[in-house]
Amino acid sequence: MKQILTLTVVVWLEMMRRKDLYVLMILMATLLAGLLSFDVFGLAGVTGYVKDMGLLAVWLLAWILAINTSVRQLPQEEQRGTLFPLLAKPVSRLTLILGKWLGAWSVTGFALACLYLTLCLGIFLKGGRFDAMTLLQAVILHGAALGLVCALGIALSTRMNRDAATVTTYVVTAAAFILLPRVPSLLLGASGMMNTSLYTLYYLFPHFELFDLRRRLVHDWGCAPGSTVAGILVYAVLMIMTLLLLAWLGYRKRHFSRGDIL
Amino acid sequence: MGMIPAIDIQDLSVSFPGRTGIVQALQNLTLTVAPGTVYGFLGPNGAGKTTTLQVLLGFQEATSGTARLFGCPITQSIARDKIGYMSENPDTYPFLTGRELLTMAGRLFNLPSPVIRKRSTQLLEETGLSAAADQRIAVYSRGMRQRICMAQALINDPELLILDEPTGGLDPLGRRDIRALIAARKAAGKTIFFSSHELSEVELACDRIAILSKGRLIAEGPVSTLVPPGESLERFFIKAVTA
Repeated sequence: MKQILTLTVVVWLEMMRRKDLYVLMILMATLLAGLLSFDVFGLAGVTGYVKDMGLLAVWLLAWILAINTSVRQLPQEEQRGTLFPLLAKPVSRLTLILGKWLGAWSVTGFALACLYLTLCLGIFLKGGRFDAMTLLQAVILHGAALGLVCALGIALSTRMNRDAATVTTYVVTAAAFILLPRVPSLLLGASGMMNTSLYTLYYLFPHFELFDLRRRLVHDWGCAPGSTVAGILVYAVLMIMTLLLLAWLGYRKRHFSRGDIL
Repeated sequence: MGMIPAIDIQDLSVSFPGRTGIVQALQNLTLTVAPGTVYGFLGPNGAGKTTTLQVLLGFQEATSGTARLFGCPITQSIARDKIGYMSENPDTYPFLTGRELLTMAGRLFNLPSPVIRKRSTQLLEETGLSAAADQRIAVYSRGMRQRICMAQALINDPELLILDEPTGGLDPLGRRDIRALIAARKAAGKTIFFSSHELSEVELACDRIAILSKGRLIAEGPVSTLVPPGESLERFFIKAVTA
């Protein structure tokens, strides 16, 4: 555990010193300031659109951060040459993967908390508010979704180079988020192989839509049932474990060479 | 019962696909390094030195044969508990400070915090980096980076130090500093296994040498026995690899 936490701390130090997080926060604040300066239909008290757009911005920014942070972790170690002194220590490849994932996820989770805090502050300044319990559920599920995105990014980066892994993670997560919820309606008209393929895809891909409580927050629908939230969290844990296992399987026998291999 | 060798390589072969077919990087290499020995691993470019080091450190798998570090198969990460490694290029995290790098290295060896603090301070002094300990490595010169990499290789007080071209690309002052660090480890009875093209350095520091050419071991033994009287190691080396 000490080794995993050490690797996590290195990810944190890099993120803090690269200043990516500050840029993200400035972007969010600017976006929010823009949203808050509008009065829809001349009604200063309307906050629904700020909530809607603000939450969309939080989802987009956190998604970008999670992918870019997770995907670069392992390839960067190799390109920078730091992987070699690292693997020359009694650090197993599984430890390395877990440390990198935990680092990427915790940094993204921290950024997520800051983004929600900024949004809540903005909404409060506009005279609105979120239901506290629903917000808590939304943040927890959003954090779990980001853990899943980070695990996917890490898993793909063990099989592909950094650029390919980045693009693939963006495509897979976007497709899973946008297209997957539409698959059941497509299944109605499908038969035979098409039906089987669509079903396989449906169950194989991560269901990010499960983690999205934005509509509950915007329309004040109240909390989701606790058992449902718990079920989604169990699903997230299982998916993350599967992806990290796949990452380890792709990484454990991989050969690394420094420049001239001979 | 004999002493467990620091390095025990038996019949090791490594091949991999290259541009023009299968490349045989190492062929049936058998080598034993006794504890406390300073061992020079020599060979022209492409001889298989780096491949051997990569197999020993677990970066690459052998096609056949076995390798053990202090009796432990190299496939187990615990085998690397007693070793320190420094590569030819001083690649490290530019965003960390020298002290943070040493702390990180110590934690990866599962050393207790007071030990890490004590050893870090000691190594920073020994490498002449105390004044720059809290500066980011990004601002270090190449020589300073080489020294901080050497310090992180020594954080666990390793029984076996594996060095790949430790003085490559360094100015005379940098070389002197690294040489002094190696000499101190030698005096402390540690095993040092290093590959180098600096034959005069090897001649001075090593108890034994091995010469590799085209993936095969062509000479092995104490420098005094291998090199005929009146001949330099450089002359012997050139004769051996061109024969």
